[in-house]
Amino acid sequence: MVERISPLGAAFRPGRHGNLTAGPGVQLAEVTPPAIVEAAAWPGQKEALARAVAGATGLALSALPNAGAVGEQATAFSIGPHRFLVTGGDDLTARLTEAVPLETGTLTDLSHGRIALRVAGPRAEWVLSKLFAIDFAAAAFPVAEGRATAHHDVLAQIQRTGPDRFDLFVFRSLARAFWESLCAASEEAGYEVVR
Amino acid sequence: MSPRRAASTGLVDRSQALRFTFDGRTYSGHPGDTLASALLANGITLVGRSFKYHRPRGIFTAGVDEPNALVTVLSGDGREPNIPATQIELYEGLEVESQNRFPSLEYDLGALGQLAGPLLSAGFYYKTFMGPVFGPLKGTRFWMICEHAIRRAAGLGRAGYEKDPARYEEMNAFCDVLVVGAGPAGLMAAEAAAKAGRRVILAEQEPKAGGSALWSGEMIGTRPAHQWAQAMAEKLAATENVRFLPRTTVWGYYDGNTLAALERVADRPSGTAKGLPRLRLWNIRAGKVVLATGSLERPVVFPGNDRPGVMLAGAAERYARQYGVLPGERIAVFTNNDGAYRAAAALRKAGAGVVAIVDVRPEISDAARALAQEAGVEPLLGHAVTGTAGKRLTRITIQRFDAATGRVSGDGRPVDVDCLAVSGGWSPTIHLASQAGGKPVWDEALHAFLPPSPMQPWVGAGAFAGAKTTVEALSTGRDAGLAAAGKKPSRARLPAVTAPALDPAPAPVLEIKAAGKAFVDLQNDVTAEDVRLAHREGFISVEHLKRYTTLGMATDQGKTSNLPGLAIMADARGLPIPEVGTTRFRPPFSPVSIGALAADRHRHFKPDRLTPMHDWHVGHGARMMEAGLWHRPMIYGQPGETVEQAYIREAAAVRRSVGICDVSTLGKIAVKGPDAAEFLDRVYTNTFSTLPIGKARYGLMLREDGIVLDDGTTWRLGAHDFLMTTTTANAGKVMQHLEYFLDAVWPHLKVHVTSVTDQWAGAAVAGPDARRVLEACVTGTGVDNVALPFMGIVHGRIAGAPVMICRLSFSGELAYEVYCGAGHGAHVWEALMDAGEPFAITPYGMEALGALRIEKGHVTGAEIDGRTTARDLYLDGMLSKKKPFIGSALMDRESLIDKNRLRLVGIVSLDGQPLGGGAHVVEKGSLDELGASIGHITAACYSPALERHIGLALVKGGKSRHGTRAFVSDPLRKRFGPVEIVSHHFYDPEGRRMHG
Repeated sequence: MVERISPLGAAFRPGRHGNLTAGPGVQLAEVTPPAIVEAAAWPGQKEALARAVAGATGLALSALPNAGAVGEQATAFSIGPHRFLVTGGDDLTARLTEAVPLETGTLTDLSHGRIALRVAGPRAEWVLSKLFAIDFAAAAFPVAEGRATAHHDVLAQIQRTGPDRFDLFVFRSLARAFWESLCAASEEAGYEVVR
Repeated sequence: MSPRRAASTGLVDRSQALRFTFDGRTYSGHPGDTLASALLANGITLVGRSFKYHRPRGIFTAGVDEPNALVTVLSGDGREPNIPATQIELYEGLEVESQNRFPSLEYDLGALGQLAGPLLSAGFYYKTFMGPVFGPLKGTRFWMICEHAIRRAAGLGRAGYEKDPARYEEMNAFCDVLVVGAGPAGLMAAEAAAKAGRRVILAEQEPKAGGSALWSGEMIGTRPAHQWAQAMAEKLAATENVRFLPRTTVWGYYDGNTLAALERVADRPSGTAKGLPRLRLWNIRAGKVVLATGSLERPVVFPGNDRPGVMLAGAAERYARQYGVLPGERIAVFTNNDGAYRAAAALRKAGAGVVAIVDVRPEISDAARALAQEAGVEPLLGHAVTGTAGKRLTRITIQRFDAATGRVSGDGRPVDVDCLAVSGGWSPTIHLASQAGGKPVWDEALHAFLPPSPMQPWVGAGAFAGAKTTVEALSTGRDAGLAAAGKKPSRARLPAVTAPALDPAPAPVLEIKAAGKAFVDLQNDVTAEDVRLAHREGFISVEHLKRYTTLGMATDQGKTSNLPGLAIMADARGLPIPEVGTTRFRPPFSPVSIGALAADRHRHFKPDRLTPMHDWHVGHGARMMEAGLWHRPMIYGQPGETVEQAYIREAAAVRRSVGICDVSTLGKIAVKGPDAAEFLDRVYTNTFSTLPIGKARYGLMLREDGIVLDDGTTWRLGAHDFLMTTTTANAGKVMQHLEYFLDAVWPHLKVHVTSVTDQWAGAAVAGPDARRVLEACVTGTGVDNVALPFMGIVHGRIAGAPVMICRLSFSGELAYEVYCGAGHGAHVWEALMDAGEPFAITPYGMEALGALRIEKGHVTGAEIDGRTTARDLYLDGMLSKKKPFIGSALMDRESLIDKNRLRLVGIVSLDGQPLGGGAHVVEKGSLDELGASIGHITAACYSPALERHIGLALVKGGKSRHGTRAFVSDPLRKRFGPVEIVSHHFYDPEGRRMHG
C-alpha cells in the first residue's frame, strides 16, 4: 500500500505556536480519513440514500437538511441538497458501491481530492468565526451536523464532530494555503499542531 | 489661569501615572484618561489648527462627536492621522503630534490665510479652481501650481509611507439580540434580553459601560449611577449568553439586520500579545437590534464660538465628573436649556469658579435655578454670548437677547473667562436607525429629530428614542430588551433614580446673529455666513448645502453641526426645520481604519493552489508562474539558462526523446448517472453516447450563443461514468455551465457532476520514447499499441500506486496522460522520472508546453477567447449534424458565418525576429505609419522544431490568406516586420508522430 503524501508539506509544524499566555486555545491537526466518498441522490431519493449510507456504515443518518452522524469508524454529513460526504476505512467505497444502487444515486471517490483538517478546543468556535460567516454556536450548529460554506476561494465542508471539535474538508490543492490561514487565525488564541 | 486636574473627583486611577508626549513634550496622565482629558489636565487647550483658516482650536467635546481636536498618533515610523483626542485612551508611551500647522502649533504661518478669508467662502473650490480666464496667465500651468499650494495649506493630518505592521482581523458573529450602547438604557435592555434566555451582544464604543451614568452625577438605586452601571456591566459580562464588547463602535446598519462594528482590541500596549489584532471588524447578524445610542449635545452658533476654551457644556461636565479635570478655572455657561445648569453645578463642585450662566430664555425651571445656586451664580436670563476674545479664550461678551425675535440689543458686557461651556440642547444619535432606512421624525419639544419608524427589526430605547430622564431610559431600555426577546413589557419596579427635575425642552435658538465669524462646522470651517451664502446662490436643499459648503463632511460627519446648519438654512428659507429636512446618514457612524476594512485576509483573497508535485518542482529548480490561483512550472532552468533557452531545450527534448509535464491543474469533472451520456451529447458539439468504455474523445463545448466555451477530452470509465477534463482556466466556468443546465434546464436528467480536479494528479509523458518509459514502470497492464491505442484508457500500477493511463497528445508526439490519486502524485512522478532516466526524460514547463502546442496548432484560451466560433478555429468538423447541442441553434447566425471573420492561421516571422502575442497583423504600413489591422497574434514562440519564430493568429479570411505576405505591427513594443500567413498546423500536420 502506497502512503498518501500530505499536501501540507513544510507548513505543518507540530508544536505550540502563537499567543500561549492562556495555553493553546485550539489544537489543529490533519485528520484525512482513508476514504472520502461523496454520495448523491436523485430527487426524491435522499431518504433512500441516507438509509443506504447508514446501512453501509452503521451510522444513524437522517435525510434532514444539515443532518450528519459521527461514528467510531465512519462519519457522514449533508453537504447540500441530496448530497452527503461520507468518510470511513479503506473498504468504504466497496461497501457503499454495494449499498447504493444506480436508482438511488451515485458515488464519487474523493479520498485523494479532499483533506480533513481538525480544529478542536475551547476557542475553536472563535477561530472558525474569523474565517466563515456561519453560526458555530452549539445551539445553531449541533454535534454531528454539517455545513457547506466557503472562505473566499476555499470551499469548505464542515462537520461538528464534538462539542468543541470541527472537521473541515477542503480541496487538496488549496489545503496548504488554507492551513496557513487557519494557523494565522489561531495565533491570537494560541494553537498546538498535533499529529 | 488654565485647566487643571481637579482635587478629588473623577473615575481615573490617580495611583498610577502614564507618560505620553504631545508635539515632542512629555506629560503625564492616569489610566482612565483620554488624550483629551490628560491634555486638559496638563493645562493644554490649544491642540490643533483649523482646516481652512488655520485658526487655533481646542477640545470641543468629550466623545465621538469631536470636530476639532484631531491629532496624529505616531508608532515607530507609522503615522495614523486625524484621530480625535477624545477617542484615544491614554497609555504609557503614547506619542501624538498636532496637525495642519507650520512651523508649530503656537505659531502657524498658515493662519495668514485668514486674511484671504472672504476668498475662502462656501463653494471656494467650484468658484476658484478654474484658473485665470483672462490676463497673461490664462491657459498656463500657473493655476496647477497654485492648486498644489492651496491643497497643501488646507487639510488634516498626513498619513505615513511606512508599512503598517499592525494586524487587523475580521470576525463573524450571530446573536438573537444586539444591544448598541451600554448606557443605562442599553444595560437594562441587555439584562432583560439575557434573562429571557436570548443570545445577546452588548456593544459599547467607550472603554467603560455606563454612557451618561459615568458623568451624570445621578444616583441609581442606592449607588452613584456610574457604580450601578459598572456593577450591571460586570454582571452581564459574566453571564454566559451575553458577549460584552467594550471599545466597540457599531458603525454600519445594513440589510438583513447585518451590522458592522469596529473593536479596538490592542490599540493599547497592554494588549500586544502575539497574534492579537489591533482592530477587529465585526460582522454581526442580529435577530433583533436594540438601539440605545443616546444623544449628542449640539452647540449654539455665535461669533467667536471656535476659540480654544469654548466647549460643550456636557463635555465640561464629563471632564469634571468622569476624568476629574477642570476645563478652566473661570468658567461661563451659555445655554438654551436646563441641562447646562447641572454642568455648572458639577464644575463648581469639582473646584472651578463659575462666573456666569448666560441663558437665552426669559424663564427657567426651579430645578435649574437651584443648580445655579449650587454653582454660586445668578443666571443672566434673556442674554446671549455675542463674542469672544483671546488666542486661547480670555473673555466673552454678553448682550441682551430676545429669544422670540432672535434680536441682540444693548451694550456688550465683557466677562473674563478661560472656558465657556455651551449647550444648544440634545439630539438623539439616530445615525444607525437612519442607515437602516426611514425618514427621521421632528420633535418640536426637544427641537430635534427622533428616529424613524423601524424599517428593519430594531427597537429603540433611552435618549435615542427621546427619553428625557434616566428613569425613562431605564424603563424604555428594559421594555426594548423584552420586546427584542419577544416578551411583554415588565411591571416590576425599576431602581429609583435621584436626579434634579430639569425641563428637557430647549428654547428653539441655535444661532446668535452678531458681528464676527460664527462657525457652524468647526471641522470644515463652515460659518453661518457660508450657509446663508449657499442659500443666496441657490443651494437650498440640505443635500446641496452639504456638498456646496462641505458642512457635515469629513471625520466627524457633522455630529455637532448638522442641526445648527439646518436651523440656519431653515431660517434663511423662512421654513420650519422639518420642512428643510435632514441628510440621510450613511455608514460609517465614526471613522473606520482602512486596515480594518481590508482585514487580515490571509494572502489577500488569493490562496496558492498547488499541485501534488509542487514541492518536487520547486526542489528541482522550476521557476513557478501563476495561472489563476494555480502555481505551475514555467521552466526548469539550468544554471545560466535564459527562459527562452530553457524552454527550447525542454521542447526539443520532447520532440527528440521524452518529456514529462504536470497536468494536474486541468479541470476534472465526474459526470455520473444513467443519463450521463445523453447529457454529454447535449453539452458537447460532438457525440459521446457512442464512445466505448475505456476510450476518450476530444470534445468541444459552445455557449448558448454559439461561441466556443471550452474544449477537452472526456473519458468513458463506465456505462454511466465519465471523467470530463476541461482547460485549467475554465474549470469553474464549465462546472457552473453544467450545473446550470442540470438544475434549471434539464432537471429531469439523472446526472450528477462533481469536481474531481483535486482527486487526480496528472502527468503528461510525451515524446518518441514515452512508451518505453511506461513499459519500464507500469505493471498490471500492457501499454503497447494494441493494449493502449490512441485515445485508449488502461488501468495499472506504477511503483505500487494505482494509475489510469490515457493515450492522448497535446504536444503532437506519442504521449500519455498518467493519472493517479493526488496523494500518490509525487510518488508516481518520481517513479516516472526514474523510469525515464535512461531516456534522459526532461521535465517541461508551461513555456515548452506552449511552444509544442503552437507548433501543432492546438487552440487554448488565447484562441478560445469568448469571441471565436468553432468555424473560426477550423473545428467545424466537430459540429455534429445528427443532433442538437447547446449553441447549435445560434451558431449559424449571419454574423457568425461571415467570410471576413477573424479565423485561425499560422504566422511565420520572415525577418528572424520574435513575434509578440497581441501584435496586429497588417497588410501595409511601417513602424511609424499604422496600417489597418486584419487581425492579431494570439500566441507566439520560437519553434525548436522549425527553427523559426512562429505564432498563431486570428486574421480576416483565415485560410484564404495562406501563402500570402503581411506584416506584424506592434507599435507599443516598436516592432514592425514581414510575416507569412500559413496553416496553423506547422508541425506534423498528418499526426503521424502521435499515432505512431
